[in-house]
Amino acid sequence: MLAFLLRRVATALAMLLVVGTIIFSMLAIVPGDPAELLLSTGGGSASEEAIRNLRLEMGLDRPLLQQYLTFLGDSLRFDFGTSIVDGSSIAEAIALRLPRTLEIIAAGAVLALLLSIPAGTLAGLRAGGRFDGITSGLNALLTSIPGFVLGTLFIYVFAQVLGVLPAGGYVAFAEDPAQHLQMLILPAVTVALHLSTIIFRMTRASVLEMRGHDWVRTATAKGLSRGLVVRRHILRNALGPVITVVGLQLGILLGSTVLVEFVYNWPGLSGLLVTAVEQRDYPTVRAIILTVAAIFIGINLVIDILYSLLDPRIALQ
Amino acid sequence: MTALPLAARRSRRLPKLPKRMILPAVLLALLIVTPFAAPLLTPYDPVQISVRDRLAAPSWEHWLGQDEFGRDRLARVLYGGQVSLTVAFVATSIACVIGTLFGLIGAYFRGPFEFVTTRLADVVLCFPPILLALLVVTLFGPGADTLVAVLSILYFPAFARIAFSEALRVSALDFVEASRALGTPSHRIVLKTILPNIAGPVSVQYSLTAAAAITIESGLSFLGLGVVPPAPSWGQMIRGARAFMNQDPLGILIPCVALTLTIYAINFFCDRLRDTLDPKGNAGGKDVTSVPAPGRAPVQEEADVIASVRDLRLELRHPKGAVDVIEDVSLTLRANQCTALVGESGSGKSLTSLAIMGLLPGAIRQADGALHLRRKQGGMVDLGALGPKALEDVRGNDVAMIFQEPMTSLNPIHKVGAQMVEAILSHRKMPRAEARSRAIALLELVGINEAARRFDGYPHEMSGGMRQRVMIAMALTCEPRLLIADEPTTALDVTIQAEIIELLQKLRQDYADGLSLLFISHNLGIVSEIADRVVVMYSGQVVEEGPAQQVLTDPHHPYTRALMESMPSAHADLHSARGDRLQAISGTPPLPDARPSGCSFRDRCPMALPACAEARPPLFASADGSRAARCIRAPEAQEAA
Repeated sequence: MLAFLLRRVATALAMLLVVGTIIFSMLAIVPGDPAELLLSTGGGSASEEAIRNLRLEMGLDRPLLQQYLTFLGDSLRFDFGTSIVDGSSIAEAIALRLPRTLEIIAAGAVLALLLSIPAGTLAGLRAGGRFDGITSGLNALLTSIPGFVLGTLFIYVFAQVLGVLPAGGYVAFAEDPAQHLQMLILPAVTVALHLSTIIFRMTRASVLEMRGHDWVRTATAKGLSRGLVVRRHILRNALGPVITVVGLQLGILLGSTVLVEFVYNWPGLSGLLVTAVEQRDYPTVRAIILTVAAIFIGINLVIDILYSLLDPRIALQ
Repeated sequence: MTALPLAARRSRRLPKLPKRMILPAVLLALLIVTPFAAPLLTPYDPVQISVRDRLAAPSWEHWLGQDEFGRDRLARVLYGGQVSLTVAFVATSIACVIGTLFGLIGAYFRGPFEFVTTRLADVVLCFPPILLALLVVTLFGPGADTLVAVLSILYFPAFARIAFSEALRVSALDFVEASRALGTPSHRIVLKTILPNIAGPVSVQYSLTAAAAITIESGLSFLGLGVVPPAPSWGQMIRGARAFMNQDPLGILIPCVALTLTIYAINFFCDRLRDTLDPKGNAGGKDVTSVPAPGRAPVQEEADVIASVRDLRLELRHPKGAVDVIEDVSLTLRANQCTALVGESGSGKSLTSLAIMGLLPGAIRQADGALHLRRKQGGMVDLGALGPKALEDVRGNDVAMIFQEPMTSLNPIHKVGAQMVEAILSHRKMPRAEARSRAIALLELVGINEAARRFDGYPHEMSGGMRQRVMIAMALTCEPRLLIADEPTTALDVTIQAEIIELLQKLRQDYADGLSLLFISHNLGIVSEIADRVVVMYSGQVVEEGPAQQVLTDPHHPYTRALMESMPSAHADLHSARGDRLQAISGTPPLPDARPSGCSFRDRCPMALPACAEARPPLFASADGSRAARCIRAPEAQEAA
């Protein structure tokens, strides 16, 4: 078990290094002078002086290897430098906004699990039945609606037509808890519905597969109640693959939440990121993406460890 | 080309479109073609601004109305579709070609190529797709070209991985090995056999990717970082109409519907394609075990009868009508007796035993007959009259079962001990610690060394023989009166087989309350060692039964005789006879829906008479009632005996 843990942590760290290297080298492999490229907007080129300044600021005048090592070292200390647009600290901006993004994701993930695991289990147990038909059909439809479309339609229905929920915005929890939660509902539900389509599909397939195994028949033959058979011998086994998928999806969610936040004007990482992309503020974009990738790798590390606790055979492989 | 075996050639021919694919294919084609027919469908220019007609309602000239700049909305949604679809399909196609090539190279050269191919996907997966896209947009600026480049980079590793694993799988197939042995050049093998065979999974991935690419393209355009205005795209239309959704809901609805419908059509196509390529993936069938039907009349049984099966008939439910798989099977199982149920695979012996456990698969229905079981608290109960709860109480408590496959019959993720304890606790109220010591004692009883340590072990830490011992211990946890063993040694190797049989023998002798053992096997060698009575089944019917000694030395039914003759005579490999196929007679048992008229064995019977075809022979009982055989020659043989 310890060997397994160490191996997994080592893999995660190696992944992190690869990701950092790729992010770093993207700027290096861009044809032409990166400083010039970042300052060119809509065909017009920047002044010689501005380019020279930016080159100095980003350290682009130093040898590549030195740049690379500095980048890695700074990243390890969460020192992402300053924005090339307004000179503010990138690390501070991320520290301010990341928790808001994580809040949406956490709320959405909890809702999604509550919704899709029971539904997926029931659909899998009664595959081919009416419940399965309705939920699977609904699922196929929901899968086809991109998150930002769902969000836009929700705003129209719940904020404009029914007027029961705010169309978007953000108030700090400390300032007004009730309103904070009210504003959290639509973004969280949007994220949850999107995520639950995938969890539902996976749970259903996994339950469908597990229920046909010999040990389920053994459990029934022992005289366990149906509920126990389902819980301990179908669902427990089915959860492993589901958890892995949830882990992968949470990572992808870190990205697609950008759109949901944008739709609802939720000032998480997305606002920062979209503005930075528009202004071609490469250091900021790079820092956000590195942070998200690190979180993603971290989540998957946790998921792998969880999975190995659920299924003792994993640690042996 | 002639050297290529049939399977390879068949896969190259274009398959006929299956019925289930017609609807999704037509829907998808319609949604793809329509945007490109835009010039035929609308005379308007999608970027022609007319401020006077801002947010105009639908009219005869402008069927879908006009947007916030007075542009014709129908034209915008159609031309916007062109942009979205082109970006998505061009990017997906590039990713598909490059990725497949990578995968094939990885599978062909292995070594470092394999590493790169498989690890590439892991790395790309670390970046949420939309973030990677944004990173590239920062460097290159927004635009359709950037999008195509980003999406192809994003998705080609997935193709590489699929092509790689499929190519490995396919090249291990017999016909590919064969054509390699015949000297077909490698590039021809790849082009003519491997490529067509990986086409299925790759095309599923293709449609998945296309749907994802459309989603990302529209998302980026929605953020204003994708397709550059004024060129129309669906994401941009939603972005533009958002500010006016209050006055003009149609503005957001139209692109939303177009986008959703297109993605839905692709997903729908993809699902059906996957089902068509891999039919077992969506295998339905309910696992709900069917409950036995109540018997006709209460039976008076002698006190030593533990279970009785009367005139059991089981039907397989089938779309084309029900087929009888078990016909008129009757069995009487007594205390202290081992009854062997013998026959080839498919004779119905396992189904009969599952019926006694109330564990019939959902597709099988008890059409007739009665199943009675003696409960520990005295009387016989009709299994059919018990509700699901009462049935759960009977299972494991009054009757227990050991299955053929010890490797898969234990749940791999629970400790062995926990699986025994849950069986004890579901029938007996006792503290967990007591259940634990009871389980450990049982593990010792079945001959497991270091039982206390094994109790906390997992099934995967044990050998097959040890797992079967655990299964036996588990079956005994609640001291059942009847133990059903369904080919308990078939999956084990020879020396272990003998040990398990010995263990079962010992348990029978030591059992206080008189255990009744129903032993299912096709191995007459083992049966002769353990059984008191033998019941021979063929094609869903009992064809002969009687005391083991008599039946095995003087069979009255030609089928029993054939089974005997198929048995390896040398004692050396007595136990290794996995004789699923009879050596003494040709052919296999008829399928339930193809049984011949009259005697169902007559097609394979060396002694068949014309009369055998006329009517199904009854079970002729011998004068003293101890034996019976379902053969018109049986009375003759019984008299001679």
